[in-house]
Amino acid sequence: MFNIIIGQYVPGQSVIHRLDPRAKLLAVFLFVIIIFLANNWVTYALAIIFTLLGVFLSKVPVRFIYRGLKPIIIIIIFTFILNVLFTKEGELLVSYGWFHIYEGGLIQAVFISMRLLVIIVATTLLTLTTSPIDITDGLEILLGPLKKIKLPVHEFALMMSIALRFIPTLLEETEKVMKAQSARGSDFTSGSLKSRVKAIIPLLVPLFVGAFKRAEELAMAMEARGYRGDVGRTRLRQLIWSLSDTFLMLVTLFLTAALFILRG
Amino acid sequence: MKVKTLVGNGIVAALYIAVSFVIQPIAYINIQFRIPEMFNHLVIFNKKYIFGIVIGVFLANLFFSPMAAYDLVFGVGQSIISLLITIATGKFIKGLWARMAVNTVVFSFTMFLIAIELHLAFNLPFLLGWLTTAIGEFVVMAIGMPVMYVINKRVDFKRFV
Repeated sequence: MFNIIIGQYVPGQSVIHRLDPRAKLLAVFLFVIIIFLANNWVTYALAIIFTLLGVFLSKVPVRFIYRGLKPIIIIIIFTFILNVLFTKEGELLVSYGWFHIYEGGLIQAVFISMRLLVIIVATTLLTLTTSPIDITDGLEILLGPLKKIKLPVHEFALMMSIALRFIPTLLEETEKVMKAQSARGSDFTSGSLKSRVKAIIPLLVPLFVGAFKRAEELAMAMEARGYRGDVGRTRLRQLIWSLSDTFLMLVTLFLTAALFILRG
Repeated sequence: MKVKTLVGNGIVAALYIAVSFVIQPIAYINIQFRIPEMFNHLVIFNKKYIFGIVIGVFLANLFFSPMAAYDLVFGVGQSIISLLITIATGKFIKGLWARMAVNTVVFSFTMFLIAIELHLAFNLPFLLGWLTTAIGEFVVMAIGMPVMYVINKRVDFKRFV
């Protein structure tokens, strides 16, 4: 029933896979900001080329990218139509009764859809080529300076790792409890709102009880093994910043400059 | 931070994601009924749950939302701001039900941040976006009040973090 891979990570050995997660996080973060600078054909073309280059280099089968896009394609089409119909700028192209299509509306619709597609593909590419643990490690180091303002960065990262570790376990447990309650006549998928809400309670109670029991056991195990937080902690897996990571940063900065110069 | 707080919140975040998976089909569209949003009420029982809820929202958006880039900023931001408002007002408001009601209103109100997100991403009209998202949030969190109340009677949320 819940046949999922967390983060849709597709293992591989491509250039993009081997990049440092910190570099990838920074690049994607910068990219989704600077994409808002694009406002004409040249700048959008540049952003699209940058994204497609990433997809090509990652060697991830296109169907995985498509899978990331699928849930949102209807929304993109809807947005496209909405923008075509309600923007009244530029030359009138088609007019039929109350139905008008303006040149400006059409261009705006294409641009907004492009921006969405590019952002989604870029972030999907990040989660497709970087394992969740690598993302957590990268985030912890990138946010490290925030420790100076007393933000518990290390604790956040550890909570994330614990959460990632327990998602599959708890999904399995959810499935088990749902089946057990269904066998006793519970119905989660039909009936009135009230009956559905009532069905949620016997689902959540055992889930919380089970989850908290696991938490207690894990906390005890960690304390027994002498876990004492961030201080003096060493890492099994070290992140290594290489030349290709610097190169990715330079390319992203170059793209930023290009978008600034070429935007209309 | 105590190990218990750390682990408890990690597990709550995992539970948030596990539950959002079960009801995935009705989340992530314009009128969303995200059932795990009920978990926002956990902060009423113990304010330390803020970590688990925020991390749950963060991970759910990072790995499961096709709109990751936008949701990470606005969705996580909305959760943090609302939870902090609820914790701050909790000092002046007595009683679980009153606090949960305030929490529900705060979360529905701050959906304007999500409306800004939808406006930026899809050029959707701001007020329409706010209305649709606030309705979804309000309904789920209002339903969540008795649900979380009953569950608390059975498991006692307070002592787990």
